[in-house]
Parts: sequence; C-alpha cells; structure tokens
Amino acid sequence: MALANDAGRSSAAQAALAAVTSLPDLDERTLVVQAQGGNRAAFEELVRRFDRDVLRLALNLMKRPEDARDVYQEAFLKVYRNLHRFRFECSFYTWLYRIVTNVCLDHLRRRQARPEDQAPDLGANHREDGVRDFFEHQKEHRPALDPERRYIGKEIQARIALAMERLSPRERIVFEMKHYQGLKLRAIGDALGTTEETVKNSLFRATRKLRNELGGLR
Amino acid sequence: MKSQPGDLRRCADVAPLLIFYSCDEVTLEERRQIEAHLAACAECRAQLNQEEEFGNALASMPQAADELDGSGKLLAQYRSELSEALDDLAAPPVHEHWQPFGGLRRWMALRPAWSAALLLVLGAVLGRQVLQWFSANGSASNAAAMNVLAAPRITEDQLSKMSVAGINWSNPSSDPDTATVQVRMQAEQPLVISGNLDDVDVRRVLTYVIANGERFDPSVRLDCLDALKSHTSNAEVRRALLAAARKDQNPGVRMKALEALRDATSDPSVREVLLETLNHDANPGVRIEAVNLLVHSLEQVSPSGPDAGSAEPAADAAPQDLQAVVAAGSSTERVIRALQELRRHDPNPYVRLRSAAALRQIGPQDLQ
Repeated sequence: MALANDAGRSSAAQAALAAVTSLPDLDERTLVVQAQGGNRAAFEELVRRFDRDVLRLALNLMKRPEDARDVYQEAFLKVYRNLHRFRFECSFYTWLYRIVTNVCLDHLRRRQARPEDQAPDLGANHREDGVRDFFEHQKEHRPALDPERRYIGKEIQARIALAMERLSPRERIVFEMKHYQGLKLRAIGDALGTTEETVKNSLFRATRKLRNELGGLR
Repeated sequence: MKSQPGDLRRCADVAPLLIFYSCDEVTLEERRQIEAHLAACAECRAQLNQEEEFGNALASMPQAADELDGSGKLLAQYRSELSEALDDLAAPPVHEHWQPFGGLRRWMALRPAWSAALLLVLGAVLGRQVLQWFSANGSASNAAAMNVLAAPRITEDQLSKMSVAGINWSNPSSDPDTATVQVRMQAEQPLVISGNLDDVDVRRVLTYVIANGERFDPSVRLDCLDALKSHTSNAEVRRALLAAARKDQNPGVRMKALEALRDATSDPSVREVLLETLNHDANPGVRIEAVNLLVHSLEQVSPSGPDAGSAEPAADAAPQDLQAVVAAGSSTERVIRALQELRRHDPNPYVRLRSAAALRQIGPQDLQ
C-alpha cells in the first residue's frame, strides 16, 4: 500500500514536472509515464528520441524503403498499444528494441518464405555505380590502397552482401545490431529475449558463414 | 563458446574466441589468457589479423540506411505517417450495430462483375427518374424565382466577380423564345436569375460567360451557347458568339459557337470569322465546321443553288440589290479561294477532303 502511495506520488510529481518543463527536456522515464497517461505529445517525443535508430535497423535489414516503413510503423504502433504493460523492469530502449526486433524477425521470415520477394542487391548497384563504392570513400583516408586491393575490396563487399542474405533472420539481426548498431551482446540478448550465450552462438555462426563466403578471395 | 578461465592454452580453445576478442566481447580473464597465447602463437595471431581485417571491411561497407535515407526524408515521411496512424487509433471506433442489406452486400462482395452491372442499371434507372422529377419540379421553382426576381439589375462588378454554379431550362422542348432559363450564380451573395432570353439580365449573364470564357467551366459555356443559339439576331448575342468562336480555348465551345451562328452566316462579320477560322483554328473539327457553314452561307446568297456561285448581277436589279450582289460575289470569291487553299495545304487530310467536297458542291469556279 505504501509502495502504491509512493508510486502515485511519484507519478503525480512527474506529471507536475512535465507541466512546467518542455517535452524534449524531460527524461525518458517521465516521458514514458506521461505517454502511459495518454499524453500523445509525450509518446511522439519518445518516438523522436529512438526512431532514427529503429529506421536505420529496419533499412539495413530490409533493404527496401517500403518494407522498412512497414516495420517502423508496425513497431511503433505496437509500442503505443502496449505501453500500458511496460513496468520499467528494463530500460524503455530495451523494451522498444524487443518489439522492433520481433517485428523485423517476422518480416524477414515472411520474406524468406517468398523467394520472389527477396531484397534488392544493393551491392550490385554499388558495383555498377563506381561513385558509391566504399573504397572510393576511403581514398583520402587510406591512400596506400593499390588497385588490386581495391578490386579485392569490391569483391569482398559484393560477397558479404550476398552472404548476408543467406543468414537466418536471427543471425542477420544479431550481426546487424552488433556491427552496425554497436550494441553489446548482453543488450542484444535482452532485446531478443534470449541469453548472451545464445547471441554469441548466433554471432559466431553468422561470422563463420560470412568468412566462408570470403574464403575464395584469400 | 563458453570457456572457463584457465582453459585457454591450446589453439583449439583460443581460435573460436578470437571473433569476440576482436570486437571486445570477452571477459577480462579471457582477454588476459588470449593475449598470453597470442604472444606465443603465430598461427592464432594470423587468424586474429584476418578477423580484424574482416571487421574493418565490414565497418567500411556502405550501409543500406545511408544509401536509402541519407537525407532523412524517409524518416520525416514515416514520422508523419505514424502520426496519422495514431490519429486513426485515437478516433472513436465506429460500431455498426445494424447493417442494412447484409445479405445483398455479401452477395455483391462475392460477385463483383454482377454487382457492377447491377449498380450501373440501378444508377441509370435512378438517374432517369431523378431527372424527370427535377424537370417536373423545376418549372414550378423557376416560376417562383421569376416572381421573386422580377427585375434584378446585375452590376458590372457582380458580373466580374461571379461564377456560375449551374444553368437550367424550365421546358427545353417548348418554343426557345419563351423557354425560361435559370442561372444560379455564385458571387459575394449567391444569386439566381431566371427568365427568357428577352430578359436583359439573363442575356447579359449568358453573353458575359461566353465572352469571358477563360473564367468559366467549358460545360457552363456550352450551356450558355445552347441557351443563346436561338437569339443570334441580337447584336449583343452575336458579338459574344463571334468572340467565343474566335477566342475560346476549348475547341468544343468554338465549334458550338459556330453552330449557333448557322443562321447568321449572311452577316459579313460572321463570314469573316468563318474565314479566319479556316485559316487559323488549330482544331480540324472546328475548321470542318467552318467549311460547312461557309458552304451553307453560299447557299443562302444564291437560293437557286450553289451552282450559281459566280453570282452574275441581273440586268434589271435595283442599285442597292446590285451592291449587295456584287459584295456577295466578292465574298464568294474569297470563300472559294480559302477553300482551294485549304484543299491544297491544310495539314489534316479530312479537312482537305472536306474542302475539296465543298468546292465540288459549290460548283466550277474560274478562280484558279
């Protein structure tokens, strides 16, 4: 009872604080409490804080804007509908990523079930479009790269892109979150609702598969 | 992957951990033991180099997110769409407790082609009934409007600011001179004027619309032409029709204006416009209509038939008649020259064919 009273006082205090502070200045917890109370502006502020990373993950995984939009919208609508269930047992970021990764997994699995619906080969586009080649971007920073090395780099890039398509949805998500979102394995495990050891296994398998794809170039 | 501290002395134990070592995902104790092993094992050092090179290649790979949304436009668009979806969620749900024609709707959902046919038939029947109802009720309402607006005087200012919402006829099948036209105008203050074509205001509005075609919808202009075609004898109406035939942007309207002038082709100004149309109108249909009207006008000049196209003045004609006949003869020559020109040079084959036919219809002329 005392705990409930404390919680009630805390919520009231946060509401009062929100009333005198602009939303972007509020901390994550206060925003979540406000959003749980039905404050749409607070929810949209939460979206703005995290949606850049969410869209980045979705675009990198889905490779198509329309699929990434579906993931983005479905994920945040799920968050909106289920926000009242969030009990602060983990960070909001972790809870959000749990939803986002589940939506991504669903979409990737659905796509795997439809071979005609595979992601476009962005790697091929890059190969045709010399300007976008990543070694071109690196030229100033790595002047020592010789033409042979650059050629091999293109090959590696194309093979990595191809091999990424062959990973299982879970391996792709783990790999993406580790290497491009920069998350620790523990955080990835929290987001996927699994243990750090399981995530380690997925990352190991994914890395091995990708390395095998590159085997012929070494 | 799980290793106990103290196990990491052999390559077989260390090698699987190098992936995690290179991305900083090993414990302090594992790190210490791996580094001790690497110091003594060239093979594992080489493998670590490969892992690090692989990591560097991954890090420098262009990302789909950068390629697809480097500018952040997608993010802004998706935020906006999410906001709309949230609006929809927030809207109160619509509860359909009672669904009328449920059986019929299910039947229609399962048979789209039949449903489309059924809806078309229903639409046609309903449209016909509604039109009849409107025409039956329209006369009463028009009569009432006439009583209320006995003598409205529309100012130039009102004309310049108005738009026309619709034009109705009370009884289009009756004598056009007595048919009542109702014009609904949208201005600062909506206004309905009605009356026959002898009513000055009605005529002013209708002629204003066709003379200032660019401000009004083509369908409204066509309705106005329909209403005015029986009054081409009025100078004001004729001027407006000539202006529409010459300048209206819409070829359908220009053609309709020419048709309306059919009974006025003996007027030199009308004939001038017809000749101008032959030479300058961009639309072949309009040019063909002008050819038809010119042939018609020549028939009017010589009632004995188009073969009398040379229009020799009769010896016993009065001086005024003589002048008229000479003028008509000169005009006929211009028409024939224009038709010959058209037959040779018009870009449209149908216009060339029609002018050739018109020349045959007019008869042999000595104008080559």
